[in-house]
Amino acid sequence: MDAWLSNPFVHGLVYGVVVVTALMTVTAWSIWFERKFAGRMQSRTGPTLVGPYGLLQPLADALKLLQKEDIVPKDADRVLFNVAPPLTVLFALGAAAVVPWGPEQIAADLDVGVLFILAMGGMVVFPVWIAGWASNNKYALLGGMRSVAQGISYEIPLVMAALVPVVLCGSMSVSDIVRFQLEHGWLIYSAPVVGFLAFLLFFLASLAEANRIPFDIPEAESELVAGVTTEYTGMKFGLFYLAEYLHTLVISAVASALFLGGWGGIGGLAPGLHWMVLKTLLLFGAIFWIRWTLLRFRADQLMTLCWKYLVPGGLALVMAAAAWVHWGAFAGTTATPAPAPAEQGAR
Amino acid sequence: MEQIGFGIISACLLGAALGVVTGKNLVHSVLWLAVTLVTTAALYVFLNATFLAGIQVILYTGGVITLMLFGVMLTRRDERVMVENEQNGRRLWIAALAALGLFALLAAATFKTPGLPRTQAEPTTTDAIGRAFLTEHLLAFEVLSLLLLAAMVGAIVLARRHDAGADARGGL
Repeated sequence: MDAWLSNPFVHGLVYGVVVVTALMTVTAWSIWFERKFAGRMQSRTGPTLVGPYGLLQPLADALKLLQKEDIVPKDADRVLFNVAPPLTVLFALGAAAVVPWGPEQIAADLDVGVLFILAMGGMVVFPVWIAGWASNNKYALLGGMRSVAQGISYEIPLVMAALVPVVLCGSMSVSDIVRFQLEHGWLIYSAPVVGFLAFLLFFLASLAEANRIPFDIPEAESELVAGVTTEYTGMKFGLFYLAEYLHTLVISAVASALFLGGWGGIGGLAPGLHWMVLKTLLLFGAIFWIRWTLLRFRADQLMTLCWKYLVPGGLALVMAAAAWVHWGAFAGTTATPAPAPAEQGAR
Repeated sequence: MEQIGFGIISACLLGAALGVVTGKNLVHSVLWLAVTLVTTAALYVFLNATFLAGIQVILYTGGVITLMLFGVMLTRRDERVMVENEQNGRRLWIAALAALGLFALLAAATFKTPGLPRTQAEPTTTDAIGRAFLTEHLLAFEVLSLLLLAAMVGAIVLARRHDAGADARGGL
């Protein structure tokens, strides 16, 4: 059994199916959770009719979406219009491949895991742009353009924030970074200030990349109708919706692994997997909390925040992390200050 | 197994590259180029250069292609958003000649290079790449950063000259 599982193809397939199924299930019910949560915040009750406490609402939503008529606008670019929705889900899920859920539970333990996550994050803007362009609709196109502008801008602070754990731990493998944290303490506190600020920066930039409020101007239903999703109906619209939540969930998992010690728990109370899931869900919940608390930024405020504050801040953080490693903060670790990753920040 | 994988990826690469040059629609060409660059990254993975593959995807697909899409959208203000790719007979011949010449040059160079490794290379570590940049290739690295800085300043100057009030109104 073990020999059979260690075949890379079988391993990838099994973990792929398990991880994707788990993420999809959590995502479906997170929509129920969000509606309940938002309802309580606004003194409403949220869904109550379908099943106990409205628990079957996600199933009802999915069934409803599947029954809708599938409309492709006459002047749309047919192929690209149909390709965009599945691509969004693909790229949103992609990064989950290298997230370690426990010491052994990882689909693909790449040496360059962090790079892979960033590459997937960078690709997310593509399908959104394609959708906007292929719809041949003014609002959709505007939404697409905004998404590209936002995506390439926030990619930079995101890369810098992700470089901080890479520099501190001297490795690009996500599981190595978690192991380092098990030994030296979670980065969010073991590298005072630097770790915490890098975590905040990563979280903010990821929210922007996932188009979540307060950074959801590509969608901005109140000014752009529904942005790129304007012309989409039924399950194609559903896929965009799904991809947004999936991306947010995967980001929460990545942030937990990079900054919050991954599968490391307090006092060995439960197996690693539980801690990782708990941390991921807490972060995921925090994102909903932010969504229902804050308003949307204006497009120019968004760019100002990114280029005037986050990018210089990110550069300073990478330098601070390099200095931290150079003057031997984590005593007893490898002496190599990992020069290569620091280069990338300069590009 | 590796042969099959290499064959599939190469076929995808060539198909995508054909899509770039034969596409009538400029946006389709750019998107095919994105596919080409991603499949090139897959080839790098086969060569055990995973770091290079990651950088290829981030810089070229995530950065350059996105900017190209932006460029296509901002420079042409057509009634409909469809942008046509121009094609005519004489240019086709010139392009074919240039491509053949380049192919001959590259093929000659490949066949003349002695002792190409026949086995898979050792995986290059990020550490080694960084060291090489800051020691052996320091000059090239610094010159490159200067070039990028110049490009950035140039872009800002060009953007500011036409529209000085853009900042006050807020970009997009």
